[in-house]
Amino acid sequence: MVYNSPVLFDKSATMVEKFTVRQKRRKLLIISTLPREAGLIQQLLDESNGQQQYELIEIHDEFSLKNIGDVLNRQKMGTQLYILAPWDEAVTIFTEAIEAGFSEDEIQTHILGEKKRYVYCMKCYHLQEVEVDETDTICYHCQISLEIGPFFSRERKGYIGYPYNPALVIAN
Amino acid sequence: MFESTNLDLFPYPFHNIKEGSNYRYSNDLRKLDRDRMNCVRVTPEYEKQIKRKRQLLIEQPNVRFQSYPHTMEMQWEVAEMLMTMAVEAHPEHFKLEKNGSQWTFHNLILNEKESFIFGDASSIELEPLDLIGRHFATDFVLMVNRDDNLYLEVAQESYAALFSPHWNKGMTFDEIHGPVPFVSRTGVPLAEKVRQFLLTNVLPGEPWTRINWNLMANRWDVNYETHDTWGPTRYLVTPENAGELVRLRVEEQFFYRMPRSNAILFVLNTQFLAMKDLAQRPEWLNQTYSILSDIPKPMADYKGFTPFIEPTVEYLKNLVQKVSLQAK
Repeated sequence: MVYNSPVLFDKSATMVEKFTVRQKRRKLLIISTLPREAGLIQQLLDESNGQQQYELIEIHDEFSLKNIGDVLNRQKMGTQLYILAPWDEAVTIFTEAIEAGFSEDEIQTHILGEKKRYVYCMKCYHLQEVEVDETDTICYHCQISLEIGPFFSRERKGYIGYPYNPALVIAN
Repeated sequence: MFESTNLDLFPYPFHNIKEGSNYRYSNDLRKLDRDRMNCVRVTPEYEKQIKRKRQLLIEQPNVRFQSYPHTMEMQWEVAEMLMTMAVEAHPEHFKLEKNGSQWTFHNLILNEKESFIFGDASSIELEPLDLIGRHFATDFVLMVNRDDNLYLEVAQESYAALFSPHWNKGMTFDEIHGPVPFVSRTGVPLAEKVRQFLLTNVLPGEPWTRINWNLMANRWDVNYETHDTWGPTRYLVTPENAGELVRLRVEEQFFYRMPRSNAILFVLNTQFLAMKDLAQRPEWLNQTYSILSDIPKPMADYKGFTPFIEPTVEYLKNLVQKVSLQAK
């Protein structure tokens, strides 16, 4: 990984509600950790209508998740990757895919369940998880109040947290 | 403390705006004339500014200087350019001795010298740009050109205006300017348009410039790290104290294409003028009053001076009247 490698975050360009076929790709690689979401996969395969080769990898345990890098590394150019997983597993797969040379354009990610969101405290440089819809929080590390801004840093892996003094904001 | 005392050296930002016209965002880059290509300036405030800059770098190294380990060669290239410019602009203040790769840079104003093996980072305690940059009051940002974009890979900043080397490290030009809420007349985001312009036009030996401006309320430096401190002070401005508290903050920006690394170096010369001092140049006072009276709210919000623009304009209105009465 290099410093400007893409990272998975809640507003990543790879996030989709529904998988779509990219016509110029030769192969669809679907990595799913939950087989019960078969409907989403079937929809994609129906759209492809047999025009592209496909490979479906279903991950059922931590051991196979750890080996996902091998699967990704043996893919050839022209492979479109579809990730279907809860947040933590999706992050692992996404990171391995970037490491293997996939670009964001070659990945679609569908998160099962809640996405995770992180804020980077600009007072003490601590990164912490926040609720998806939170606009303000308290830094666990330095206890300062943070307004969560809309800007994300790949380097810091979180949204900007502007420190503020709530007492003075109320006074204004 | 750092207010410009020599107004002839102050980069007044509205020179190019026609009388009676107002300020709006645009691509206002200008190619530098040959006699203006050197960015090294020694103002009457030089020593105070250097002292302040070094103090910030010592107290907050993580906040004020950021780089990637792979940038050493690029930093040496920039350091060489700055030392060369310093000697050319002010041979009475700076000297560079080269004995093979053993170089010594003399700062005669501060009576200091830096000796090092050029290109050998192990011969110095700081990184090359951090070391040489401490002899210049300007801030430096090195944007590396890759994939049709510019990435921030080195920055030394002591006069931040809603900027932080720590936060902005590694970001693309467009990401850094993400907060800019404006589009060009053709609907293209302004940051994207300016980036394309820089990539196409800033060539080796052909530097460009523009002047950015802002208002600051009793602060020299507003970065994200100190938002809790300076945020509330913006509400303390009144029409009575705006002359003292509010300063026109001007950032004269220079853009150099580095011939070896192909990166673009941004040099930022920040100067301040207190609102009260505009009275020394009535034409500046009248124009600044006119421009600030008509600033659109989105622009004031983006620049961060919405909380004190009204009392500032009120102060300037009164000052215009006072100066005009004195002239009669």
